[in-house]
Amino acid sequence: MDNRYDIAIIGSGPAGISAAINAKIRNKKIILFGSKDLSAKLIKAPKINNYLGFYNVTGEELKNQFQRHMDSMGIEIVNERINNVYAMGDYFTLMVNEKMYEATTVILATGVEYTKPLSGEEKFLGRGVGYCATCDAPLYKGKIVTIVGYNKEAEEDANYVSELAAKVYYVPMYKGEYNLRSEIQILQDKPVEIQGDNFVSKLILKENEVDTDGVFVLKDSVPPAQLVPGLEIEEGHIKVDRLMKTNIPGCFAAGDCIGKPYQYIKAAGEGQIAALSAVSYLDS
Amino acid sequence: MKEVTDSTFLEEINGTGAPVVVDFWAPWCGPCKMISPIMEELDSEIGSKVKFVKVNVDESPQVAQKYRIASIPTIMVFKNGVPVDSLIGFRPKQALKEVIERHI
Ligand SMILES: Cc1cc2nc3c(=O)[nH]c(=O)nc-3n(C[C@H](O)[C@H](O)[C@H](O)COP(=O)(O)OP(=O)(O)OC[C@H]3O[C@@H](n4cnc5c(N)ncnc54)[C@H](O)[C@@H]3O)c2cc1C
Repeated sequence: MDNRYDIAIIGSGPAGISAAINAKIRNKKIILFGSKDLSAKLIKAPKINNYLGFYNVTGEELKNQFQRHMDSMGIEIVNERINNVYAMGDYFTLMVNEKMYEATTVILATGVEYTKPLSGEEKFLGRGVGYCATCDAPLYKGKIVTIVGYNKEAEEDANYVSELAAKVYYVPMYKGEYNLRSEIQILQDKPVEIQGDNFVSKLILKENEVDTDGVFVLKDSVPPAQLVPGLEIEEGHIKVDRLMKTNIPGCFAAGDCIGKPYQYIKAAGEGQIAALSAVSYLDS
Repeated sequence: MKEVTDSTFLEEINGTGAPVVVDFWAPWCGPCKMISPIMEELDSEIGSKVKFVKVNVDESPQVAQKYRIASIPTIMVFKNGVPVDSLIGFRPKQALKEVIERHI
């Protein structure tokens, strides 16, 4: 395929940008996914004194420097969120809703995910717990489904599921108006635990308890193991070796997503290692 | 890969002494589309030692119910008609191969 990239970089924080710069210097065909602001954690920092060469700058100033660096090298950010990365064997398919990109190698530089999984969420994954309501909805035809929604987009999924399921509960994790079909029952309550035997049978909330056959947890940011099915995780972070290699050949990771300390210059250094490892993987 | 249904499923998984790998899928499932070329590749690589079949869960709801398929793709390995392993969700080729080869 002629529009296959050599390296796809997911994340536009210091780790991802440093990876992009180094891959570009080595003449690779790259694509960098992220946001126009580069990183929310960058623009939020009031004062930074530990980034070598930039004493006493604000996060905003450092961000502008990063932007200038990218601009002078002709590196652009593709403002899209990757939903899934599939390791196909000798290449990767990256999904953005219905759209697909292909790359020979992938560098994960997604930062860290702060929302903790619910108790029981990981245990029942695939046995009643799911992350893609529209994918698995037809399997819950005539059954009871509970949706824990962290954003407004989850409402659309809930509406779709309610056309198939016998009953849908919606647990909103945010405030606002809910645009839901009338047959959906809203539970203004805090989920505590998913319970069951072999399969999900109950969702325990702070004040309620509902019988349910399925629980869909719909979040903003996807944890790495869900982003890249088959990726090995160790103590909440992506497992890598010194060369930033993950357990999947051709897939590398850098920055906060691989572990502490959470710092800009560490992230940038790891991004560089990951890029150079990807380059030698491509050249071998 | 051969498509099996509610009515042909039992005979297909009981037939041989070799492991049978069943890919539960549906046309509306994105990750299923991604895993299917990988299953085809594995079929051509190790198909002499393992039998590969697929079940469309829309068309064969009884089999899907029986094995409590709650999420697709689900890849199940059967030996002598009994499920011995199952993998839920997309997996990289190497990971699928390792699990399947454990049962040869
Ligand atoms: C208030 C504050 C102050 C800080 N001060 C300092 C300091 O003074 N010194 C210091 O060294 N460190 C500081 N840090 C820590 C520092 O921000 C992080 O260590 C650093 O940003 C990590 O970089 P990263 O590239 O790994 O990830 P991030 O900067 O978190 O960037 C990840 C990027 O990936 C994007 N992304 C994630 N998933 C996807 C996806 N699926 N598709 C597309 N894009 C995706 C995100 O939107 C984000 O833009 C501070 C942090 C905060 C919050």
